[in-house]
Amino acid sequence: MTSSSVTHPAARVSTGRIALWITLTTESVFFVTLLVAYAALRDEADWSLPHTFTRLLIPAVNTTILLVSAFMAGSAVRAVRHNDQTGLRNSLLRALLLGLVFVAGQVFEFNHAGLSIDDQAFGGVFFTLMGFHAVHVLAGVVFLALNLMRTNLGDFTSTHYEAVDLGVWFWYYVTLVWFVLFAALYLL
Amino acid sequence: MTAQAQSISRKQTLGSSGLLSWIMTVDHKRIGILYLVSAFIFFIIGGLEALLMRIQLAKPDNTFLGADTYNQVFTMHGTTMIFLVVMPLAAGFGNYLVPLLIGARDMAFPKLNALSYWTYLFGGIFMYSSFVYGGAPNDGWFSYAPLTEKMYSPTHGMDFWVMGILLLGLATTIGSINFIVTIIQLRAPGMSLTKLPLFVWTTFVTSFLAVFSLPSLTTAILLLLLDRQLGAHFYNTAQGGSALLWQHLFWFFGHPEVYILILPAMGIVSMVIPVFSSKPLFGYAAIVFSTIAIGFLGFTVWAHHMFATGMPTVSLLFFSADSFLIGVPTGVKIFAWLGTMWRGKLRFMSPMLFAIGFVALFLIGGLDGIHLAVVPVDWQITDSYYVVAHIHYVLFGGAIFGIFSGIYFWFPKMTGRILNEALGKWHFWIMFIGMNLVFMPMHVLGLEGMPRRIYTYGPGRGWEIWNYVETIGAFLIATSILIFIVNFFITILKAPQNDPDPWDGFTLEWTTSSPPPDYNFAEIPSVRSRRPLWDNKHPDLADWKKEEA
Repeated sequence: MTSSSVTHPAARVSTGRIALWITLTTESVFFVTLLVAYAALRDEADWSLPHTFTRLLIPAVNTTILLVSAFMAGSAVRAVRHNDQTGLRNSLLRALLLGLVFVAGQVFEFNHAGLSIDDQAFGGVFFTLMGFHAVHVLAGVVFLALNLMRTNLGDFTSTHYEAVDLGVWFWYYVTLVWFVLFAALYLL
Repeated sequence: MTAQAQSISRKQTLGSSGLLSWIMTVDHKRIGILYLVSAFIFFIIGGLEALLMRIQLAKPDNTFLGADTYNQVFTMHGTTMIFLVVMPLAAGFGNYLVPLLIGARDMAFPKLNALSYWTYLFGGIFMYSSFVYGGAPNDGWFSYAPLTEKMYSPTHGMDFWVMGILLLGLATTIGSINFIVTIIQLRAPGMSLTKLPLFVWTTFVTSFLAVFSLPSLTTAILLLLLDRQLGAHFYNTAQGGSALLWQHLFWFFGHPEVYILILPAMGIVSMVIPVFSSKPLFGYAAIVFSTIAIGFLGFTVWAHHMFATGMPTVSLLFFSADSFLIGVPTGVKIFAWLGTMWRGKLRFMSPMLFAIGFVALFLIGGLDGIHLAVVPVDWQITDSYYVVAHIHYVLFGGAIFGIFSGIYFWFPKMTGRILNEALGKWHFWIMFIGMNLVFMPMHVLGLEGMPRRIYTYGPGRGWEIWNYVETIGAFLIATSILIFIVNFFITILKAPQNDPDPWDGFTLEWTTSSPPPDYNFAEIPSVRSRRPLWDNKHPDLADWKKEEA
């Protein structure tokens, strides 16, 4: 996508960034709609997962992994701003691998939650919200991986790193959504 | 720089003709034409489905179509006209015109633009392939749960519907993001938001509506898919689900969708009427603000589709009052169009006739909507033919007339040829009369209690005569469309006149050659008023002098 070549010189915010914002807006409406559906269904029949320490252990570990991963992604942007190619590569790689660990943790959680998708309406809500979030994490991993490939090709410099920035923003977004889902599904 | 050079050389090597050049194209004008042609073919298919229904209903106890076939035909008619015809026709005009109107060389993301077109085409063909694979969807275009659950709709029709709508929603979302970014980023120097041509404004607001409302539909149909395929219970009341949840999710999309369908047509009409009245648009700011107001209010009225579901009184009152409120900005627009024509030097050519037809018919449809917003009235006539009359006055009398106005108006720009004016007038008058013959009696039938979506009815209820008249009207509409198709082929086979500005237009698209070159503008224009071409033609009377004074 050669968006930069058609951007009006006077435009202050980059075209890619506006496109990402609008995409994240429409994604947010999607997650909010799912959460509203969850709230509406919960209103009709009260269900929740047991709030025991062991029950919350895996999701808590997963939350930590994703949070550390987000910090790694953030340090990738700091590295590229200083033209630190090794730092950029390592940060992207770490963020990406932790993302994959998170997805593996989610798969483990799916198998040990004691729920299935046809377990009343709650099973459906749980797997839909978690499943779509996991798909977004995988999309973020692909985004980071593409940036890693371009880093290896030497595409990014301290003045030219928009794709890194956008990928990291997407990663922050995925992390933020996770916190909302964690609170909604495990803590309420 | 290198990217630009590459894209120019690619255009040259592919040439400007041949099938491959259309498949590979990332040019907004060609993608726009692809959208328009594909959507018009779906329009003919959807129209044939309407004719089948009208033949079936022409007389009581008719056996032309069986009940199940009739269900499939009305479901596909509605789904086709909304998702495969009006939305992509608007997207076609948007693709073709937005860059030209704002003085840009292409959309912000040309490849994404091609992606959204091909996704749309695939989604449409995919949905229609259901006829071959065990039966088309048959639960109506709004597919209420729990009828759509596997238990009650065991064929694969609904699965095709869900997957098809997912693809079409994806195409629209990608396209909308592209429009928003293009309009924010690529406007020519001087073209502030207050100088944006009205069609660009309506495309802008429509795109935001799509971005904010489509996720709700996506959620609704994904949950349905999980119910049907993986045994989840979202809409299954017996297992803690909620059938009403579908209606809320669907109409939270469905009502903004109504404005997604009508706003682009309003934009077209707001471009056509000033040119054929030889006057600037009356009340530009009023139209822009009412478009934005409609955009916001459109998200707050969804439950007026659900008055009959037993809502609390306070909700009924809110959604009823709110639905009256949304009539206000629409009324403002009607007066602005009339004000534009008032004391103008009117030229009643085909684009103008369709634009005036739009105003008249949309007004009737809008007033029907106000009737339906009155809760006790709605309880009487909901799910009757009165509702069918209402949606067709706004979507056929409104959106389709507006789109034909745009087709006659911009056809010379797209092809270099003006459509035959005499045939255009025949098209307009036969379609106008046919349209009223079909849909006006539906008001009577609705008040007489004829429910929508029934495949036949018994004699002796006083419904025969009106149904018969409606069927005649449907064939008149078909005749008018046939005249348009003949006109299209007669015109396209003639040598082009290549007149850059056949209507004495006001806006930037008429400054380019007809059809415009690949790059649109050799030099990016600079804009000082809402009618840049008028300013060029009449430097002494230029709008910017008045606007700055």
